[in-house]
Formats: sequence, C-alpha cells, structure tokens
Amino acid sequence: MSKKDAILEVIYEAIADLNDDKSEDEKVAATMDAILFGPESGLDSLDLVSLIVDVEGGASDLLDKSVSLSDDNAMDQDPVPFTSVASMLDYIMGLADEK
Amino acid sequence: MTDCVGSAYEDRVVVVTGSSRGVGFSIANHFLAHGAQVIGLSTASCSIESNNYTHYAVRIDESDQVLAVFRGIRKRFGAVDILINNAAVLTSQHAMIMPVSSAQDMINVNFMGAFLVAKECAKLMKKKKWGRIVNISSMAVSLEPVGDSVYAGCKAALTTISNVMAKELSAINVTCNTLGISAIKSDMLAQLPEEKIDAVIASLPIPRYANFEDISNVIDFFVSEKSSYVTAQTIYLGGVS
Repeated sequence: MSKKDAILEVIYEAIADLNDDKSEDEKVAATMDAILFGPESGLDSLDLVSLIVDVEGGASDLLDKSVSLSDDNAMDQDPVPFTSVASMLDYIMGLADEK
Repeated sequence: MTDCVGSAYEDRVVVVTGSSRGVGFSIANHFLAHGAQVIGLSTASCSIESNNYTHYAVRIDESDQVLAVFRGIRKRFGAVDILINNAAVLTSQHAMIMPVSSAQDMINVNFMGAFLVAKECAKLMKKKKWGRIVNISSMAVSLEPVGDSVYAGCKAALTTISNVMAKELSAINVTCNTLGISAIKSDMLAQLPEEKIDAVIASLPIPRYANFEDISNVIDFFVSEKSSYVTAQTIYLGGVS
C-alpha cells in the first residue's frame, strides 16, 4: 500500500468510527471530496474535534512522528487542513515528506 | 518494591505527574499497590521499582517533549484511564520581590504543564470513552496566603481548566475534578517557613497536617466507577472552603 493510500485509510477509519454513533442520514461520506469544516459541513464541533484527534493519532502512529492538524502551522494554512478529506490528506502527505 | 495490597485498579492505566517525590510518589505507589499500570512523569528519575511502573523523564511544560512521551504511551499502552495531574513547583515570595523567572516557572509547570498533559490524556481516554482526570490543587486557592499570589493564581486557574474540560469531555464519559490539598509534610512544604505553615494549620477547621490517606481517600472517590456523575467539583481537605 502506498503512503498516500495508508493515510487515506487512517482518515476513512476515523470517519467510520465517527459514523458508528450516527443515524444513516447523519453519516459523513468517506470520500475524497467530503467537506468536514465550514458551512457545507454537517459535522458539529464535537464531531470535528473527535475526527481530528482520531486522524492525528492514527497518522502519528503510521508515520512515527507527531502529526497535528490544529497546531500553529496547520492553522496558518488556507484552507485549514481539516476543511475536507482531500485537504487533510494533502497536509499529512506534506508532513510525511518533511525531513 | 511496591507491595500489592488489592486489585481495585487492575486493568487501569494511570498517569501520575510529579511522581518522583512527595505527594506524586505516594499517589503512584497507591495505584501500584492496588494493581494499576502506572506511568510516572517528572523531570527527575524515580526510585519506584515495580514491573507495573513506567517512568518518563519529561518537562511537562515543553509541548514537544509531552507529545513525544504520549506518542510512546499510545504505542505501548493504547489508552489511559486515569490522570492525576499533580506536578507543581512553588516559590513563595512577596509579589514585589518575586523573581520573574520563578513566577514564569510556576505558570509553565502548574498551569501549562497540567493543561498539556490533560490534553494528551484526554485523547487517549477518548479511545475507551471512559476516563477520570483529577487535578491536584491547594488550599492556597481559598486561603490566599501572603507570598502565594502566582502559585494560588495558577492553582485557581487549574480549577477553571478542570471545570471547562469537564463540560468538553462529558460526551466521552471523562470526568474532571479538583482536589485542594491542605498542608502535608513534603519537600515542597519544607521550602516554607515552619511558623507560617503552623499558623495556617491552626486556622483550619481541622487543625492538623494532612496525611496521605486523606488525599488517597478523595482520589479513590473521584476515580471510582461509581463517580460517573461527579464532575467539575472541587473538594478541599481539612475544612478549607
């Protein structure tokens, strides 16, 4: 499995865990274009925090380095990394490639 | 070697900050004696010898160090059940002559350090959707003794952190409470003039020093399975209110 696919799997697993507690019509789509933050997102703030924490933990384990989607560097990005699945993936890929 | 005297905390993973000495050392041994896996965090090494004890030498006010330690804890233990946020430093000095570096150390360790550790522990409690956070505070918050402006201020802030986190973490069944301990004979207390402590003790409704059993009794209550409806509370020892 490529690094990109492994990171995507971490994100999708976190979405699946989040969906465990949701009714069918509340579930978040596990797709690249799923919006996680902002007016178009169906997540409330606790859902988003939960998702961020799970992705940070899973990605940190995978890459064997601390991964934060909410530190100063992350919050300086436009859009912020947790805006969508695609932006999360891009940002974590960038961290993975950092020396 | 810590003797095991019970199994009340078997299968529990307990993080204790400031475990190398004083109250934290006793708390770590208390949980070990009752079957817990204890993870101790402190800047110094620790003399506790137990197969169930893991020590990390870390500055809890350094976020990079805390993150690295908790990455290790996550790998090794998977989750954390209980946090006893005990580590603290104290400089008691009149505000007008308090060294800025001492004030900053207290803010860094007693406030930011406690927050950083609670933040990372909460993430590891989320996995099981269960947890207990006990922040160790002080009678200084209520008594506001001369010389303790920054120390008492940090401990008061710790109560606020605890109460806000209690709201944020209730959805994952994590409780956050605060134990305000009165004077207990320890290295920290030994820094203060004895007559000052004696005067404070004499003013308490129960005018004696606390002993460790007074502290462990309240900790056991806060972390009990049965205390799931007890959160955002502060208990002071010795009748301080």
